[in-house]
Amino acid sequence: MSLLDALPTPKLRRGGCPNAVLASLSIVMLAVIWGMDAVSVAPNRIVQGTGVDVLGAIGLPGALLASLLILAIGGLASQPSRTNYAAAMGVVVLLLALMPFGLMVASHFLIDPTLPQARLGIGASYWLILFILLLCLIELRLRLALTRLWPVLILTGVGLLWWLCASLWLDDLALVQEFNARDRQFIRAVGQHIVLVGVAVGISIVLGVLLAMLMRRFRRLQKSAFAMLNFLQTIPSLALFGLLLAPLAWLAANVPVLAQLGVSGIGNTPALIALVAYSLLPIVRNTYIALEQVSPDTLEAATAMGMRRGQQFWQVRLPLALPVLLEGVRITTVQAIGLTAVAALIGAGGLGTFIFQGLGQAAMDMVLLGALPILILALLVDAALGALAEALRPGGIQ
Amino acid sequence: MIELSQVSKRFGDETAVDDINLKVAKGKFCALVGTSGCGKSTTLRMINRLIERSSGDIILDGQALEAYDPVKLRRRIGYVIQSTGLFPHWTVARNIGLVPRLLKWSADDIQARVDELMALLGLPIEEFAHKYPHQLSGGQAQRVGVARALAADPDILLMDEPFGALDPITRIKLQDELASLQSRLHKTVVFVTHDMDEALKLADHLVVMRDGRIVQQGTPLALLQHPKDLFVESLLGGLERGLKQAALTRVKDHMSSLGPTLPSQYRISADFSLRQALSMMLRDHTDRLAVVDQHDVPIGELSLRKIVKEAQLEKGSMREA
Amino acid sequence: MKHSDQHADRRLWIRSLLWGLLLVVCVMGIAHAEGLFRWLEPDARQVIYQRAQFYELLGRHLLVVGVAALVTILLGVGAGIAVTRKKGRDFLPLVAQLSSLGQTFPPVAVLALAVPVLGFGTLPIIMALMLYGLLPIVRNTLAGLHAVDEDIKMASRAMGMTPLQTLYQVELPLAAPVILAGIRTSVTINIATAALGATVGASNLGDPIIAGIINGNMAYVVQGALIIALLALTIDSLFEGLQGRLRQRLSSSQRLS
Repeated sequence: MSLLDALPTPKLRRGGCPNAVLASLSIVMLAVIWGMDAVSVAPNRIVQGTGVDVLGAIGLPGALLASLLILAIGGLASQPSRTNYAAAMGVVVLLLALMPFGLMVASHFLIDPTLPQARLGIGASYWLILFILLLCLIELRLRLALTRLWPVLILTGVGLLWWLCASLWLDDLALVQEFNARDRQFIRAVGQHIVLVGVAVGISIVLGVLLAMLMRRFRRLQKSAFAMLNFLQTIPSLALFGLLLAPLAWLAANVPVLAQLGVSGIGNTPALIALVAYSLLPIVRNTYIALEQVSPDTLEAATAMGMRRGQQFWQVRLPLALPVLLEGVRITTVQAIGLTAVAALIGAGGLGTFIFQGLGQAAMDMVLLGALPILILALLVDAALGALAEALRPGGIQ
Repeated sequence: MIELSQVSKRFGDETAVDDINLKVAKGKFCALVGTSGCGKSTTLRMINRLIERSSGDIILDGQALEAYDPVKLRRRIGYVIQSTGLFPHWTVARNIGLVPRLLKWSADDIQARVDELMALLGLPIEEFAHKYPHQLSGGQAQRVGVARALAADPDILLMDEPFGALDPITRIKLQDELASLQSRLHKTVVFVTHDMDEALKLADHLVVMRDGRIVQQGTPLALLQHPKDLFVESLLGGLERGLKQAALTRVKDHMSSLGPTLPSQYRISADFSLRQALSMMLRDHTDRLAVVDQHDVPIGELSLRKIVKEAQLEKGSMREA
Repeated sequence: MKHSDQHADRRLWIRSLLWGLLLVVCVMGIAHAEGLFRWLEPDARQVIYQRAQFYELLGRHLLVVGVAALVTILLGVGAGIAVTRKKGRDFLPLVAQLSSLGQTFPPVAVLALAVPVLGFGTLPIIMALMLYGLLPIVRNTLAGLHAVDEDIKMASRAMGMTPLQTLYQVELPLAAPVILAGIRTSVTINIATAALGATVGASNLGDPIIAGIINGNMAYVVQGALIIALLALTIDSLFEGLQGRLRQRLSSSQRLS
């Protein structure tokens, strides 16, 4: 974040040069919409679908409407002003909102209602347009100098609309069918994922803060502790999970008490140990830096004003350190969300299960069912903790 | 020879430099003085085209600035800035040899030139050639900065508050060295500073700027004697103006020949400034000093009465002129 | 001070040499250590992974990571340079934001999303690695170039350096430590992500682990995990050595880092 804060914010240029970014993004979108498959149709779950282009999917009127809206973004950007940027933002949101309706039209055209297994897959151009529209949203947010809250609000609204469409009218969509087939399982997996991440991050915060404080007390510890944590962080997750399997399985087999406590080679125990091992470094590093960076002048002033040590810690050190500490928690949590997905391989459950099962069965929609929520979860946590850290930063200091 | 006529620079709605006319003759030392944000640095950077002007003409050695390729132009103009701008990943020697290397001199020529410049600026080669900028003190770094600017023997030297970040003692030392360098090299120098004493000490031609405009320009003595308005006067030191003027005058220009009376027991060298003479008079409670040459032999006499009278006369004659 | 620097430098290289040596010993020696693994998995039919030689797996792993790294370094540094030049400056805010946002995407999710688009096999892995590995490099290139003092850039222009000379002789050397740190992050993540590629049909060092988990054969898992871990540590310590070397040459790095 610090890099972005340091970058010059783009200025609204009066009447000046057209915005090259939005113009090129809209050109790319046009190329994508006319050049790639919009959706795919498959008679059942396993068969690879056949691609359908934009004309087949939403017909000529639909294709023209989409192209017109995309052109409008580029057109509005050719004469940059606040109102034009706001209008372009409106068009982007409109396009995002129209996307599920396009899918409805496509399913109406393409899916034979007599085939209960037939399903509509989302094609490459749909994904790409979605991605580029998000880029447009970011660019417009920066140009209009809006806070981070805006895109979150907009995307929440759009997401709710999509969810509504999906649950009411998009039964033919493969992703929806995949979800409907295992909605209980899905909700349980989301729960497991969140619990695993939460417990791992919780343990790491307690351990990490303790370790950081110990390192401040015993300076000699510092170098070796950081070396150890860096070392752990370097080992690939799959390898660490693997290396933990064998000793834990041995322990479970040979120490019955541990086995009764639920320790085993496969499942939650190795997952938690590995997650905590990975999570410690960012937490310890940020806590240490946060506590260390409080300037000695400030502390001297606090002492000189007659603050006791305890008062100094709670009133000066901690408030100044909190944003940096939270940044560490943010990095850790986002990292843990991804790593927990890998933990599914050793039977820890969570959303990764869908990814690896889907890959095993070559069922791509099932892979999406696992990967998309993980991505959304990571982005949500990142945005929420980032906003919290920003709010806690007193007076906007770094 | 540098000539700016009706030059302006606007950044958006803001006018940084407003319609200035300025002529710097070959071999002269011109100082631009003013408070921060008055447009003096912008003026300087328009000369080597780091900033392109919005309107007006700049003529360099009889040719319009546009006639020069900016890159080649800059290689012909030395440039020194306050923060030195030395490349931190290069040694002192490599930093100094930058422009000759850009001009594709042979390695031997570069080496010889670097050695020559390091000697000229009092940087012992064995000690400094292989040091990196961060290992230098502020004064040493700025010597390297000046050496780098002089490397390709440019006719023109642009200096942007070069001594602004140095402690007072180092600053005065470097000013003295720059003055003596200039008396030997006769570069055309444009020098930006907000330190009026520095400007008075070094400049042949003094330009006072305010809000992007030139308020007054002329020789330092002329400005001291006839400041145009209160702003220039306060910049020149207000009540201290008399002393500053005295600092620009040599003792030998005001001494009278040895009279029949015994020379004063207090002695002053003929090369000292009138300001130093006045200070000695105050210190030693006397109104007469004996002026001596470098062998400490009395060659004349200086009296307080005469100094005051001549200052009056000078002012009168200036007014008539 | 300089002496102790050199000392530390040598120690870094020795460390990476040791990891590398250990890697080679493991790759060559595992096949002969049947007794050891038999103790770990007494009931299994086989205790040494047989489907491919370990050095082949290592080679393929390195190839995938190497190709991806080469392309990402070229593209990433190139993009970072392009958007900080005058002509590409319009794209700077978006690219900076994107490269920072990209750190949020879990590599597993990126890999999983690449498969529906690109299919199974080695190619989707390389593509996913490239996409993902690009972001830390772009981000650090931007950060490194941004950290170069404005006055130094101005001085280089004022001395009559062309924009290209400024870039190659001043900006890139000064930004190099930060860029190298980005490359290190990118490669470290890619070694780990490539191992996951075994689940999407690429044959590399992740294979024994996945096979071991599926068949319940701990010996396989340990063999694969050991070699990947050693590979990651070797490469990482090589980067550390390189960074140490760079820091030594760039005596001013304390100002930049």
